[in-house]
Amino acid sequence: MSDQIHHNSAISHVTGESVYINDMLMSSQLLFGKVVFSKYAHAKIKKINIKKALKVKGVHAVIIAKNIPGENQMGPVIHDEPCLAEKVVTFVGQAIALIAAENKDALLQAEKLIEIEYETLDAILDIETSIAKNNILAPQRKIERGNVDLALKNSPHTFKGELKTNGQEHWYLETQTALAVPGEGKEIMVHASSQNPTETQAIVAEVLGISKNEVEVEVKRMGGGFGGKETQGNHVAAWAALLANATKRPVKIHLFRDDDQIMTGKRHRCLSKYEIGFDEAGKILAYKVEINTDAGAAFDLSMAILERAMLHADSSYFIPDVQIIGRAWKTNLPSNTAYRGFGGPQGMAVIENLIDMIARYLKKDSAEIRLLNFYNIDKNNFTPYGQKIDSNRLFVMYDQLIKSSEYSKRRNEIDKFNNENEFVKRGMAITPVKFGISFTTSFLNQAGALVNIYTDGTVLVNHGGTEMGQGLHTKMLQVASVELGISPDRIKVNATNTSKVPNTSPTAASSGSDINGMAVKNATDIIKSRLVEVVISEFERLYPNNKSLNENIVFENNFIFDKLYPQNKISFNEIIKTAYIKQVSLSSTGYYKTPGIYFDRDKGQGNPFYYFSYGMSVSEVEIDSLTGQYKLLRSDILNDVGNSINEGIDIGQVEGAFIQGVGWVTTEELKWDKTGNLTTHSPDTYKIPTVNDIPKDFRVELLKNAPNSGTILKSKAVGEPPFMLAFSVWLAIKDAISAVGNHTIEPDFTLPATYEVILLSSEKIRNKLKVK
Amino acid sequence: MKNTIRFVLDGKIREVDFSKYPELKPTTTVLNYLRSFPEHKGVKEGCAEGDCGACTIVIAEIGENEKLVYKTLDSCLVFLPMIHGKQLITVENLAITENNEKSLHLVQQLLVETNGSQCGYCTPGIVMSLFGIYKNHQNPTKEIIEDALTGNLCRCTGYQPIIEAAQKACVNNCEDHFSKSEKEVVELLKKINSNTETITIKNKSQKYFKPFSISEALRLRNENPNAIIINGSTDIALRQTKKNEFFAEILDLSGVSELKNIKVENNSIVFGAGITIEQVRNYSIEKFPALNKILNVFGSLQIRNIATIGGNVGSASPIGDTLPVLFAYCAKIKLQSENSERIIAIEDFIIGYRQADIKNDELITEVIIPKQDKTGVVNSYKISKRKDMDISTVSSAFKLKLSGESVSEILLAFGGMAAVTKRAKETEKLLIGKKWNRENVETAMKILEKEFTPLSDARSEAEFRSTAAKNLLLKFYLETKQN
Ligand SMILES: Cc1cc2nc3c(=O)[nH]c(=O)nc-3n(C[C@H](O)[C@H](O)[C@H](O)COP(=O)(O)OP(=O)(O)OC[C@H]3O[C@@H](n4cnc5c(N)ncnc54)[C@H](O)[C@@H]3O)c2cc1C
Ligand code: FES
Ligand code: FES
Repeated sequence: MSDQIHHNSAISHVTGESVYINDMLMSSQLLFGKVVFSKYAHAKIKKINIKKALKVKGVHAVIIAKNIPGENQMGPVIHDEPCLAEKVVTFVGQAIALIAAENKDALLQAEKLIEIEYETLDAILDIETSIAKNNILAPQRKIERGNVDLALKNSPHTFKGELKTNGQEHWYLETQTALAVPGEGKEIMVHASSQNPTETQAIVAEVLGISKNEVEVEVKRMGGGFGGKETQGNHVAAWAALLANATKRPVKIHLFRDDDQIMTGKRHRCLSKYEIGFDEAGKILAYKVEINTDAGAAFDLSMAILERAMLHADSSYFIPDVQIIGRAWKTNLPSNTAYRGFGGPQGMAVIENLIDMIARYLKKDSAEIRLLNFYNIDKNNFTPYGQKIDSNRLFVMYDQLIKSSEYSKRRNEIDKFNNENEFVKRGMAITPVKFGISFTTSFLNQAGALVNIYTDGTVLVNHGGTEMGQGLHTKMLQVASVELGISPDRIKVNATNTSKVPNTSPTAASSGSDINGMAVKNATDIIKSRLVEVVISEFERLYPNNKSLNENIVFENNFIFDKLYPQNKISFNEIIKTAYIKQVSLSSTGYYKTPGIYFDRDKGQGNPFYYFSYGMSVSEVEIDSLTGQYKLLRSDILNDVGNSINEGIDIGQVEGAFIQGVGWVTTEELKWDKTGNLTTHSPDTYKIPTVNDIPKDFRVELLKNAPNSGTILKSKAVGEPPFMLAFSVWLAIKDAISAVGNHTIEPDFTLPATYEVILLSSEKIRNKLKVK
Repeated sequence: MKNTIRFVLDGKIREVDFSKYPELKPTTTVLNYLRSFPEHKGVKEGCAEGDCGACTIVIAEIGENEKLVYKTLDSCLVFLPMIHGKQLITVENLAITENNEKSLHLVQQLLVETNGSQCGYCTPGIVMSLFGIYKNHQNPTKEIIEDALTGNLCRCTGYQPIIEAAQKACVNNCEDHFSKSEKEVVELLKKINSNTETITIKNKSQKYFKPFSISEALRLRNENPNAIIINGSTDIALRQTKKNEFFAEILDLSGVSELKNIKVENNSIVFGAGITIEQVRNYSIEKFPALNKILNVFGSLQIRNIATIGGNVGSASPIGDTLPVLFAYCAKIKLQSENSERIIAIEDFIIGYRQADIKNDELITEVIIPKQDKTGVVNSYKISKRKDMDISTVSSAFKLKLSGESVSEILLAFGGMAAVTKRAKETEKLLIGKKWNRENVETAMKILEKEFTPLSDARSEAEFRSTAAKNLLLKFYLETKQN
């Protein structure tokens, strides 16, 4: 398909005209909202006094739990998250009171005057303590095949240990924002920066105690989401709605950056305990892993995230006997939430690191061990949860990338470099991605659309997906353009709105274009079938000699014609006018549900994924083992997106996801103090990649000639999978540290591999060498 | 002038009379000022602390030969009166509309073509940084492009298309509609700048002074000893934007052109306190390479374009990046008051955690660095969690002179290891007179490791700091042997 089509907002982005919620023009009646949150990780609220705050000039409302007209809850899956804490706070950053005022000064002054008396309680601030106190969130999950203990016993070599992976702050450029506008009676309109407007609608209805048909939620665009606005965008929306309801004025809340970082959940950090058995060649025989995630203070999406971590514990490798246990632990931190990859990265990190360990132990190249353990094409091709791996692209991609990246030649050069340099070391790694596409909560795999054609021949497409930069609207526009055979400039994709397309699923799990694309197609199919009737009767009138059949009517290049009699032709615009006159409906909803997916959570077996997206990358780094600083010299990426709907957008997704992954595995570090305060709560200390952190030589390619069957325009999902390509950077760093000890000593290693990890791990190896 | 400032925006002189707009304070940031207009909402706030660049704007001022000089700045850290007498260029000014047709500026067009925006929130800031490159460089190297973009965080794209857009846009010449209107703008700016009467803005609770000469500045300093001094305000503004501190009195030195000279005196180079970090960086490439090296990784271009050397020494921060190098170069600070002046060594100037020896009627007017002879070496190092756009975790500057193979002079200054920039005097003592060889350096490293008791904080644990500090000495040693 055409790769000439740019993001449908590209021009308004570069001119600054794109409207985000914080830019919406409002009357002087607009009030600003502020959230007053807990300063303690765990405490009883003994008293709240808002009287003084209410008296501040310019303040219109101060709301605490007891003022909530509806239900005081905003948990997406389980109702375990109060909208405003009432008797107890369970993390620093938990909302307690809301203020609406005419300006920022009044908000600040009122905030200072709200008196909250706490009685502090013991807080659980890490997974280890939570495990020790048995503070489990929900019963553990298990996926199992064969007899792992026996297989471990019979394995020639085994490793046992644990790996910690830290969380990650989303750092969307646009912090959480919402604008609520009260309407007539109970009606309320909410402009939300939310990946899940349907759930935003539900939660607003619930806290206000009104029915869903009174609430309209609209999402024009988000300034980034990455999962951080899948459930937690609902919170600000609910707070803004409460304030708007109380003041009968429009209220906007735009979180201050530090507040956003302090209040919202992050990628789940994990503590994974493993045992792995393998043979002389490096073939994995048995793998037992227990993934412990830090859920934070509430349920949110933690169990679904844990599930995806477990479903990706195998990464791309066949393991005969395997046991995967997942446990989510409650702590006194903000409830952790969706983040690109949705647990997948945490599950994969463990085994990718283990492959590296096996290679070092056997004195082989880790690339070789990976290849040896890939899922096979015709045997050894069932996952631990029993899904068959069809159209396996691992081998094709491995061969292509090893060649194009000149892996072997560079490996020799690196060895030479390391021999010649005492403290500056280089390392390289290749890592694969096989990522399951679909919501693992099977019923979410449905989507809706509404396509309207107006009498001037222009088309308005609405669908249930939200735009957060990923180019979903652009792809939907392209789908409509291809299906209706008209040029893209006649089509517009509008803001996502719950009044237009109801009961939608979140834009998540990389499934946005898969399911919404099919729903749009369904709608255009319906309209086309109506139009075809009109076309045929017109053709009969105009060209009585050639009888046209329905199946021969083609929509292309703004015209409609009969492929047997191409001269029988009528313009799209004309047929639209005719159809209207003939009283034919020019609007249709569309619907889609992904076929054939199911997963039995109790048994840990099923077909949770419609298909897999593949990717592979090779990265080379250089570390200074005296200072811990590192440089990313080169990354080669090959990614499978099926037939790309839009190459420009897809490459953008691959590069962006990869760099976000690089941040997770290197410089992004979440740290808390002993009382549960986040110490890295601003970009001053929380370091996402800058332009200088991308590979000095960055080569990204999409796998060619790789149509996917059964998906919209034979494409594949692309949002999340490339995130995990960043493991090549993580393990290249480890390879470089390992070079300090000439690859004879297994380095201490965690994720992220910060400068601190690099330096202290190198230093430890140096000290060990001295002892030797 | 009372209560009024003037600058050029949207091609016209804009006069802001603070007495007429009670919602405007002299400490209102340029970001918030712009965002209060429907036609200037393109500029975004992503952090309000100078780290993300979503608020990037470009300022043009009259430079040599009456040419405009274009600089990118983070508008979230700039108080409105600081742009008095300058042209303020925002993302909305780049494209032009003629006969109802909008034509994009080349940098915008190329950003569209390279798919350089995804969510678009960082994009207005990125566009302004690209525009900054466009106006300042022809065929810029990748290093120049990357350097100009380190202050613009983008969480979506992975930056590759943005670099490509810059490479493609800045090939031939820097002509655009701004070049065409340059003369007119210069005339407007001249008109504004012809009035050099101190600007005083007063409201119920705030006083803001913006003098244009040293003598006026010193007089105001004397009369308002409690006023907060700002130069680039990159340190001070944070206290407002992040901590909601209220400034009752401000003395803004950014208009004092006498503080913006670099003079070559007999044995020294004299930097006016108002010289920006970017100017120092460019000036020191050959003369003070260790200073240049550390300034290459100082903040971002947006920060360096406005942050001053006077502000950096004035903040006396233990992680101020110029300090260890200024120690190593034996720099001096000149302080002036209305009726006295004194020059003191930088080491004596820093007296405590964020405390400098400045009396309440004095201003820093000069930073003086003696010219370096060729007999010694000075080198500097900065270690931070992220290579660029990050504050030092540990920084250091070392000076070494050998006589024969033995150390005749050594100075080891560290930042980030104590409450102040501090020399490792025990280690220096140990090394002096000794042979400059690896064995002695390794012995010295053991002393060095014990000489400091650094903190653990958000940037790193103490163990990292101690280890890195001692390793830097080894790194310095190895590099002296290489050359
Ligand atoms: C995002 C960001 C990144 C940064 N990165 C770095 C970095 O990498 N390295 C680094 O060292 N710093 C960094 N800084 C800190 C800051 O930019 C520097 O310290 C800068 O040099 C301060 O200069 P200024 O002119 O902006 O100072 P101002 O904020 O105007 O003033 C700083 C202090 O000096 C005093 N002062 C200023 N001028 C005078 C004078 N003439 N006489 C007496 N007192 C005076 C002020 O009263 C104030 O206390 C960073 C800041 C930000 C916001
Ligand atoms: S808002 Fe982030 S740098 Fe100004
Ligand atoms: S495009 Fe989203 S942050 Fe840059």
